[in-house]
Amino acid sequence: MDGLDNLFSAPTRRDVLRWGVACGAAGALCPTGVGIALGQDVAAPNTLPGLRLKGLARHEAMFWEKLDENKVKCVLCPRECEVADVERGYCGVRENHEGKYQTLVYGALCSANVDPIEKKPLFHYLPGTTAFSVATAGCNIECKFCQNWQISQFRPEQVESVLVEPERLIATAQARSAPTIAYTYSEPVIFYEYVHDTAALARQQGIGSVMISNGYIQEKPLRELCRHLTGVKVDFKAFSEKFYEETCAGKLKPVLATLETLKDIGIWFELVILLIPTLNDSPDEIKQMSEWIVQHLGPDVPMHFTRFHPTYRINNLPSTPVGTLERARQIALDAGVRYAYAGNVPTHPGENTYCHQCKVPLIRRTGFRVESNRIRDGKCPDCATPIPGVWSAEQALAFKPREKAAAPQTAGQPS
Amino acid sequence: MSTFSTRRQFLAQMGAAAAAGAVLPTGPWLDAAQGEAPERSSRVIIARDDALAGGSVDEHGELLRKLLDASMQRLSGAQDAAAAWRRWFKPTDRVGIKVNTLGHTTQPAVVDAVVAGLRQADVPAENIIIWDRFDSELDKAGFKLNRSASGVKCYGTDAEEVGSGYQSNVETSGEIGSCYSRIIAEQIDALISVPVLKDHSLAGVSLGMKNFYGAIHNPNKYHDRNCDPYVVDVVSHRFVRPRWRLTVCDATRGQCHGGPMKNPGYAWPFGGLIIGTDFVAVDAVGADLLDGERKNRGLKLLADDKRPTNHIATAGARGLGVADLSRIERIEL
Repeated sequence: MDGLDNLFSAPTRRDVLRWGVACGAAGALCPTGVGIALGQDVAAPNTLPGLRLKGLARHEAMFWEKLDENKVKCVLCPRECEVADVERGYCGVRENHEGKYQTLVYGALCSANVDPIEKKPLFHYLPGTTAFSVATAGCNIECKFCQNWQISQFRPEQVESVLVEPERLIATAQARSAPTIAYTYSEPVIFYEYVHDTAALARQQGIGSVMISNGYIQEKPLRELCRHLTGVKVDFKAFSEKFYEETCAGKLKPVLATLETLKDIGIWFELVILLIPTLNDSPDEIKQMSEWIVQHLGPDVPMHFTRFHPTYRINNLPSTPVGTLERARQIALDAGVRYAYAGNVPTHPGENTYCHQCKVPLIRRTGFRVESNRIRDGKCPDCATPIPGVWSAEQALAFKPREKAAAPQTAGQPS
Repeated sequence: MSTFSTRRQFLAQMGAAAAAGAVLPTGPWLDAAQGEAPERSSRVIIARDDALAGGSVDEHGELLRKLLDASMQRLSGAQDAAAAWRRWFKPTDRVGIKVNTLGHTTQPAVVDAVVAGLRQADVPAENIIIWDRFDSELDKAGFKLNRSASGVKCYGTDAEEVGSGYQSNVETSGEIGSCYSRIIAEQIDALISVPVLKDHSLAGVSLGMKNFYGAIHNPNKYHDRNCDPYVVDVVSHRFVRPRWRLTVCDATRGQCHGGPMKNPGYAWPFGGLIIGTDFVAVDAVGADLLDGERKNRGLKLLADDKRPTNHIATAGARGLGVADLSRIERIEL
């Protein structure tokens, strides 16, 4: 991952002071210190002058409820952690501080890169553009195959981070000519407040925001966030409760609910299914998943079947054979999914976008690079069939949720 | 090394000890590198003194040392305190003292007594590390940080250079997958857990075993199901179980509800220490004492408060120690 100092402009002294006050953590800014030394594998961005984070970036959390005896209940994600004073929720980045729930990662970025939007992957969202991509530490599930476990499975004080306020993130994305900010790598749900505030501000300044998520979020915060987002990608881990429970420490049903809510909201979203040999790659499971998608979400939601490579806690399984991806893609197409892709296999024809009506290639890709794009005004140039997706920045920024956003909570109201 | 290499040697030493009139409830320490758990006794000592129940614990350093030494003698059957400590610790040991500095915290005076005991066994001060997760929490709990090469060391896993963070590889133990503190993984070969006698909002109690949640990088992942079996998985790991020789539970100021944060409304001036080599037995006794106090105050028992201490039973069922109270020899001093 790139060093953050290469991406962000140096803050002024005024920036430092303002930010310190804003997040209530002036003492957390460490001009010369270093963060906790973790293993060498952990992403360790270089410092920004004056802004390397020594402590925690505390900020009042959204979506929580007060309980007796100074306990709180988090209602951001389906876990609904009940957290005693001084303790943290499962995500490790939200803490009960004297009966008030706080996020500890407001603007505490541990990773930032300028990525092709295809890397997310989002294939029907401004193809060929870049996304300024950021993450904080933490996650609300634990996938034993997580590729970014060095940040997703650690607490904020255990990774090196820099404080980047929303305004500066947006300015940096603009300076990099990125039309989109992507909240990604770890799990944006757990740095919700920062995503929320940044996306709202970015939208006003002509920058879209996409969330690359596991979909493990409650309906109210999801609806609230989608007022500001312009696209979503959900990692759909599998179509079995067993897999979610045993391999991800999560549950399937809340993810299905999220997908249906996204459909209801009307925001553009795509799905990624990382196929792991023997665990979630059975034809029956893929068929059931595809049929569920067509029935509940419609045929236009793209499915990306991507390759697994051994990592983190699953090192005893081989990489996914390309044939498995091809088979899964065909099962999805047969089930009625119009846009199914084979991912992580550069040059494979399954990475291209084909018109679902006349079958001609519309977007040719090599890995994350778009070689050609024939879509015009959102349509196939040969048969004029509308191709679902977001094809212009104007279209992205014009998005409005289909339903009115849910009323905010009494405690931890959206700012 | 005084491990028993043969059954005959073991019996011979047992016989010699018996002939000397010594009670030998526990064998001596074994080499942690062998990956074997030290022999443990299900004997648990509860040492109390009314003086400890009032005033500042800091004023009772000498009393704490006497209570602890007497307890060690009862545990070991040794004639004197130094001999008792030497049964479990030797001069070449590097001893980690894991304290609890989150919320209601371990009293430094209790740890001072433990250090004094180790010194009687000729463990060099430089070989002793008092540790927990964070420098800041140790400092807040009243411990004097010492990262220098001389004297008893005291620092957190987060201490730059000395603590060095967590290992970069994930260790799997049962259901957990965690990076352990480099202190426990690389800097010590004997462990003493010095928890506090206190309630915990999810696990029911936070005692000697739960204390080692402070040794892994991701304890937040393992609070579901009342922390069971995760607590047991954490302490079953080769970094903990074979090295763990003693628990000295700080029961000078217990807390029977509202933990792990300090909650004065439920403070319980127990005025004592709970000591044993079987860490499961010590926790079982501690949980029983807490439940007894809860009953006295009209509070629900932990199990009825949806916080059963299942992890203790699981530890017993897995053979890590004795969880069955009827099989634990409880001795009050």
